[in-house]
Amino acid sequence: MSVRHCGGSDGRAERPDGEIVIAIAGNPNVGKSTLFNAMTGLGVSTAHYPGTTREVYTGTARFGERIIGVVDLPGIYGFCDSGADEEAARRALLDLAPDVVVIVVDPAILARNLCLAFEALERGFPIVVAVNLADEARRAGIEVDRDALASALGAEVVSTTATRSIGVEQLVQAAFRAAEGGASRRMPYDSEPEVFPDPLLRTSAALRSARERHAVAGRVASAVLTKREPVRGRLPRDFTSLTTWPWTGVPLVIVVAAAVFGFLFFVGDLLASAFSALWAAVASPVVTSAVAAVAGDGLASRVLLWGFDAGLEASRDIGLPYILTFYFLLGFLEDTGYLNSLAFLSDRVMHRLGLHGRAMIPLVAAAGCNVPALVAAAQLPTKRERTIASTLVLFVPCSARTAVILGSVGHYIGLAPALLVLAVVFAVWLSIALSLERMLRGRSRGLIMEMFSFRRPSLRRVAAKAWGQFREFLFVATPIVVAGSLVLGGLYESGWLMHLSRPLSPLVEGWLGLPAVAGVTLVVGMLRKELSLQLLVALTVATAGSAGAVLADIMTPTDLVVFAVVNSIALPCISSVAMYWRQQGWGRTLLAVGASIAIALILGGLIARILAGAGFGG
Amino acid sequence: MPSATLEEYLEAIYKLAERGEVRPGALAEAMGVSAPTVTATLSRLKAAGLIQRREGAVELTLAGRQTALDIVRRHRLAERFLVDVLGLPWDEVHEEACQLEHALSPKVQEALESFMDNPAVCPHGHPIPAADGTIALTQGAPLCESAAGDEADIVRIDDEQGELLTYLASLGMFPGTSVRICDVAPFKGPLLVEVGDARYAIGRDVAEKIIVSSAAAPAKRKGRLGIRR
Repeated sequence: MSVRHCGGSDGRAERPDGEIVIAIAGNPNVGKSTLFNAMTGLGVSTAHYPGTTREVYTGTARFGERIIGVVDLPGIYGFCDSGADEEAARRALLDLAPDVVVIVVDPAILARNLCLAFEALERGFPIVVAVNLADEARRAGIEVDRDALASALGAEVVSTTATRSIGVEQLVQAAFRAAEGGASRRMPYDSEPEVFPDPLLRTSAALRSARERHAVAGRVASAVLTKREPVRGRLPRDFTSLTTWPWTGVPLVIVVAAAVFGFLFFVGDLLASAFSALWAAVASPVVTSAVAAVAGDGLASRVLLWGFDAGLEASRDIGLPYILTFYFLLGFLEDTGYLNSLAFLSDRVMHRLGLHGRAMIPLVAAAGCNVPALVAAAQLPTKRERTIASTLVLFVPCSARTAVILGSVGHYIGLAPALLVLAVVFAVWLSIALSLERMLRGRSRGLIMEMFSFRRPSLRRVAAKAWGQFREFLFVATPIVVAGSLVLGGLYESGWLMHLSRPLSPLVEGWLGLPAVAGVTLVVGMLRKELSLQLLVALTVATAGSAGAVLADIMTPTDLVVFAVVNSIALPCISSVAMYWRQQGWGRTLLAVGASIAIALILGGLIARILAGAGFGG
Repeated sequence: MPSATLEEYLEAIYKLAERGEVRPGALAEAMGVSAPTVTATLSRLKAAGLIQRREGAVELTLAGRQTALDIVRRHRLAERFLVDVLGLPWDEVHEEACQLEHALSPKVQEALESFMDNPAVCPHGHPIPAADGTIALTQGAPLCESAAGDEADIVRIDDEQGELLTYLASLGMFPGTSVRICDVAPFKGPLLVEVGDARYAIGRDVAEKIIVSSAAAPAKRKGRLGIRR
């Protein structure tokens, strides 16, 4: 099994190597990705398509003597719909030209699942049907007559249990036969179907038969299915209602949200300190000596250290503890089916913000770290929702920004003022949310979401998914963080950053009333938000000109409040900006960052004046 | 005979009136034009005696209603023709029919009608007005008015252009599909409906557009914890 990095510079997926290329298609939640992982192992590469937020995973696998390429398409209900998933699936089918399409079906919802098989046949693809979740179906008392299904479809039907890699071998062999022989294309329609080879074309025949396709699929499904009394207990179904009934569901949401938040905030923080200690003990000396060997001991080496020591560390400190754990948590919740219940419950509230229930997750997660929250926001169905949600995520104070509030206002003034600062930041967030909903044209499609039944989460599935998403962060954000750190390091070490403080001084000293050095640290905070406070504390001695000086010597309580507010709203950290830019493009990124600076400055100045007027430790 | 633009306005007013009072703002949104444009056109329609204004709302006069029904008839016949005879997809024919409708003379309408065996409804499930200006009462109520435990058939989907139709079709929801309402979230939350073997959460805004005829609601067999899969 091999891993290949693909998705060249233009974002087009490359056809994976192999004698034949198999595309795995199916409705959401039928276990496609598990099947894909069972075929290829964990090593896969992803391809992004410009303008879409969905990645298509490709990989290669060796079966005996033969090598196959495998493509995992996003879960879709039909090839013609307008969502991001369908777009990505259509583009991938066109670009990668698979030799055979494996249609993965869930026997519990066989009729609707089969429609995709018919649609693939209509489009001229040889297919093999994988009746997956065989174990779950058996427990539910559902049995599929595979021979009858095969003869109805004119394609081979294989029973698989992807979670335990059962049936994968047979599936691949069937795929070889289908690819070599071509499909028999005998379809059980009353009228002779037309075959349109171009999957991108929204052909009239494809849509005219949507109703016909469902009718035929329903007939075929009822002919091949036998249902007996389910063996399994009643718990999973009752659980769904418990999670969607407000009186039990809402408390559960609060518990889950608190757990996710707490996990990110406390466990993430713990891991972050552990990693950073580990880095300082192990990696940092290595990097330092390597840099010293390359660049000696001058300005250049100090700048390099900014990039490759501090920058890489920042990426690890945020990446591993917060992002990987978040992906894991999110994957776990998704795998159980709980996310759908959450979306169901919060739909009404999210409506006010022009969003849907599904946006609840990224917004809650953003309080831990904005970067994974942005990834979660990219999974929303329409462009408008994605724009609103990801922009709102940027304005949610993440754990680092909250830490600055607590460490400055909370530490030097008191907890109540710190909470007040948080309340101000939340008020700003809410007004941004309400104005975004008005400013952005168009309406969201509305909530139409399949409610999956609860299932036992599989650790392997969750881990595979979390790792797949984490790779994305690793390869996208890290280079940008390092580059950003190099630039900031260069500015700082060369003394240019202090020069920058002069043109900034009318704003920083005149308008915000802060010491000039605070303005500089606010800018540096872009690297990591908590760095602004750390750097400010470090520079205190130099600024105050006396040993033993503390932050309170150079910053009045008003200054601290203003500093905390501006740091919380202005300039999202460089990792989030990189992620946001990847999804929304340069224009929106500049707009969002610019708006964050403008709002923070206006608000900061106003607060400075109001507090001074009120005689608050001015 | 009013111009094509005026016909479009009358048609839009008629459709909005089916759902309640017609405000110029709603009309502007439906037509995709600015408020001043709507005001100007409304005064032309008023001068032609096709509409009247009552406390800011727009109402069709008897003549206006006749004309509107005539356009609606042509539009729905055209849609039917495009889908049944030419085989165009049902979610794309609305725009095309908007073009075609203005060119159908009474003679062509009659020929189309008999050629297609006097269809009663358009491809989206709306009744087609008869040549004499009568129209079958629209039956059914929005899905969001259903209660938990109801079973109903989809009569039509009030979204003639667009993604909603295609998406619902992919999920197997067309006029004629039976749905079972498992749960209705309180405080205007979404509905949980069962179609075939699958269950879907459908937001209020979408459920408003899905018109169902409540098949005689069976006694509520199960409590809310007894949702069938």
